[in-house]
Amino acid sequence: MSPLLVTILKVLLIYGGVITLAAGMTLAERKVSAWIQWRIGPNRVGPFGTLQPLADGIKFIFKEELIPDGANKFLFRLAPVLAAAPAMMAIAVIPFAGEITLFGVHTTLSIADIPISALYVVAVSGLGVYGVILGGWSSNSKYSLLGGLRASAQMVSYELSLILAILSIVVLSGSLDLRAIVAAQAGGIQDWNLWRQPLAFGLFVIATFAETNRHPFDFAECEPELVGGFHTEYSSMKFALFFLGEYVAMIVMASMTATLFLGGPEVPFWHGAPWFVQLFAFLAKTSVFLFLFLWVRWTLPRFRFDQLMRLGWKVMLPLSLANVFLTGLVVSFF
Amino acid sequence: MVIVKRKELSLAERLYLPEVFRALSITFRAIFKKKVTRQYPEERLVTTAVTRGQPRLVLLDDNQHLACVSCGLCEIACPAYAITIDGAETERCIEREPKRFEIDMLRCILCGFCEEACPKDAIFMSDELELADFSRAALIYDIEKLKRPRAALQPRIDYFYGANDRWRKRSSTS
Amino acid sequence: MTKIILNGREVEADPKQPLIAACHEHASAVPMYCYHPGLSPVGSCRICQVEVKQGETPARVVVACRTPVVEGMVVNTEAPKAHEARRQCLEFLLKNHPLDCPICDKAGECDLQDYSFAEGQGEGRSVEPRRKLEKRKSLGDVIVLDQERCILCSRCVRFFEEVTKKPQLTVAGLGSRSVISTFADRPLEGNYQGNVADICPVGALTLQSFRFQARVWNLTKAPSTCGECSRGCSITVEVLRRQEVKRLRPRPNPAVNQFWMCDHGRFSFERFNAPGRLAGALLRGRTGLEAIDPADALDEIADLVRMHGAPLVVASPWLTQEEGERLRVLGGANHFLSPAPNTLKDDLLHTGDPCPNRRGLGALGFAPLAPAEALERLRAAPLALLVGERAVELLGAAALATLPSTLRLVVLDTHPLDAPAACIEIGVPDASERTGTWLNLDGHAGTLGIARSAPAGVAPLTRTLDELVRRTRGALAR
Repeated sequence: MSPLLVTILKVLLIYGGVITLAAGMTLAERKVSAWIQWRIGPNRVGPFGTLQPLADGIKFIFKEELIPDGANKFLFRLAPVLAAAPAMMAIAVIPFAGEITLFGVHTTLSIADIPISALYVVAVSGLGVYGVILGGWSSNSKYSLLGGLRASAQMVSYELSLILAILSIVVLSGSLDLRAIVAAQAGGIQDWNLWRQPLAFGLFVIATFAETNRHPFDFAECEPELVGGFHTEYSSMKFALFFLGEYVAMIVMASMTATLFLGGPEVPFWHGAPWFVQLFAFLAKTSVFLFLFLWVRWTLPRFRFDQLMRLGWKVMLPLSLANVFLTGLVVSFF
Repeated sequence: MVIVKRKELSLAERLYLPEVFRALSITFRAIFKKKVTRQYPEERLVTTAVTRGQPRLVLLDDNQHLACVSCGLCEIACPAYAITIDGAETERCIEREPKRFEIDMLRCILCGFCEEACPKDAIFMSDELELADFSRAALIYDIEKLKRPRAALQPRIDYFYGANDRWRKRSSTS
Repeated sequence: MTKIILNGREVEADPKQPLIAACHEHASAVPMYCYHPGLSPVGSCRICQVEVKQGETPARVVVACRTPVVEGMVVNTEAPKAHEARRQCLEFLLKNHPLDCPICDKAGECDLQDYSFAEGQGEGRSVEPRRKLEKRKSLGDVIVLDQERCILCSRCVRFFEEVTKKPQLTVAGLGSRSVISTFADRPLEGNYQGNVADICPVGALTLQSFRFQARVWNLTKAPSTCGECSRGCSITVEVLRRQEVKRLRPRPNPAVNQFWMCDHGRFSFERFNAPGRLAGALLRGRTGLEAIDPADALDEIADLVRMHGAPLVVASPWLTQEEGERLRVLGGANHFLSPAPNTLKDDLLHTGDPCPNRRGLGALGFAPLAPAEALERLRAAPLALLVGERAVELLGAAALATLPSTLRLVVLDTHPLDAPAACIEIGVPDASERTGTWLNLDGHAGTLGIARSAPAGVAPLTRTLDELVRRTRGALAR
């Protein structure tokens, strides 16, 4: 079988898996919120409500499509795609597992292995905000516009800390390749970057919340103040696309955290484990952070906007700069 | 004027992160709490005489005529303007009876003022709580939908007399 | 004017009026049942008792309606003794009064109910059963008598004796068996029976047509003027749920109708409730009359005026001064319909002339025109404007249908007219839906009040005419 066909197969498998996972996340979100509030959560569709995402999907398809009169029709239609596509693109370089032989072709379990994959993820996922900004602007609604504006300001503020946190890992590992970063942590639990870069870990996790517009940084939506923020005017599948984008972005950020700080697909105490064990380990590590996203959302109230900006510029940015500087010093002189 | 002093925050509280972890631990423990959800169609609400459900009209013992004389006091007492009454003359010894008695259940707020206003004990809050239909017009209840034999409302009537006994006596002596 | 001291204040009182009139004039709420300002005082109910001190004699409790005003008398309406006398009097009045308020049509505007409520006596002390009398006694077509509710104030008896001067009611029987009754049980007659239901202080005399129709607190009331004859009695229009006119009642006006109105005017409210109102405008198209926007209809009328010149204007006698003012600019020859006098004329109120604004329209230059003559003029005219409520009714829809279709007839009425000549029709508000002024036969200005809103799409006639005048200004420049 030719390598091209194998790559296509990998694309289908990984994207199928990721979208299924995103659908599962919508159910998980509702279940976790219910549990935290002493409720049961969806339990009517399928056993324990497991078919709820399917029902939601069918519902979204049958909802009426509304485009506001004053909207910029082209950008209004384009925005959901721009919100969902970058998150999906970023998935391509995530190393889900190590080497694998598929139909006689020896390859790795990620769609593309490129030597600057860490930079690629940052570059592509940063584009996600265009969907939010354009969606907010093209709706011709004051709430949407405010949501979009907030999203852009927030993204600029926190992307700096996010990148600087990654940079300190890159400096430590000496490579922009995610596989090389994973390889650098291969020695066992004690080699994980979590222990070497605890500050960067903390800053990265906080920045991912802002990057994915999740609570307590969901200023782009902000129901009590902005009705629904950038997606106020959206309905049906366009609305669903925004949410697909948000959940896939969460998966990307959770798997990035696992890759950068928790050794990615490396199994503790079992170097060179088979690919399916590695995949399971990777998913387990990612799930921890996915759960954290949900857990924090149903725990913390939303910040005030000035608090958000103060945290971003006066706390996180100086800390991450100092961290990169110190890492550089350590790497240069020891 | 009241001056509210804000609580002085300790260092741990100002750092915010320790408080975040404390909050996370609270919500995590909540996951394992007993659930309070009531599975509605299977588990019904238990109603008692105190429950104020939808208002219903009492039939006289002949199960044919309403106790209502369409005096309009519930109509004017209703804070949601849900009740509309048109009277008509009747050959019975009570000269007046409702020709039209409508309660717009979409407007009714189940406050029970109609029950208290009624001088003829003709309207009481039943234990019927469920309200659903496919059109607004169907939720404007007319006499046919509102009338109930006295026996169906007896617990509420007994409760109402008991609860209001005290002020009834007091007002009559002043 | 005589000076008296009322509740510690020195006030001026009319010596020709009883003391109770002075009390009411100076905002002292002395209750009254048998006293009525339009009738002679008899002092039969005793509820208006007040304390009076004159000269050196000790203060005594007297009935205010039978006490003349004397210079320097000291009146205390709230004295404990007066209060106690009134309370005891009220208890006796209520002794046999049935607890009918939920059923009684008077509830809400009942003097007995109001004062019982103010006095706060919730319970009688009597253990005797109440009188059982006839509750549904018909006194002719207009009035129903409930003998149990009656407190024998004799206002109704005096009304027929003093106002219509044709006594028809009396107090029959003695003591506790006294009831109000007609002579030899004959039904009541005359054109003023309805007034006794208004003056009855309780719910004993009620109108047959209003019985159980509405609760009085649900009626929205607007002061207005009756349009059934050229007297123009001041009235109150009472509307149920802002839709249906339920009752017309006289409004005290010493210059026109004192306290009364005739039954003919009282029961004329039925015409306000006639269904099939013309809302918006109609234009004769290929398939008959079709609905169009009123503004477009006005453009069409202006085009007709440009084509045919000033139209023949036939106005309804119910047109107000304000509407007439605008309409007279439009016409080449202005007329108002003047039907023959009817036979209802009497020496009390009714004038027999069905045109309420005859004097005002005459002053504006409108010439009276009998309906038959009006039809002849219309037959000959190329373009005619038929303006105002009931204009079609006075001419007769059947007669209008015989007019040739060479006539371009523009109709501004409350109801649509189906006649081949009618090419444009615009709905107008009726007398309960618009404001304006009528001049009665003495030149007294009666104001119409808006008691309810006109059907959707119906603009005030004054505004419609203003628009029409604006659109035809060039065509009619003379």
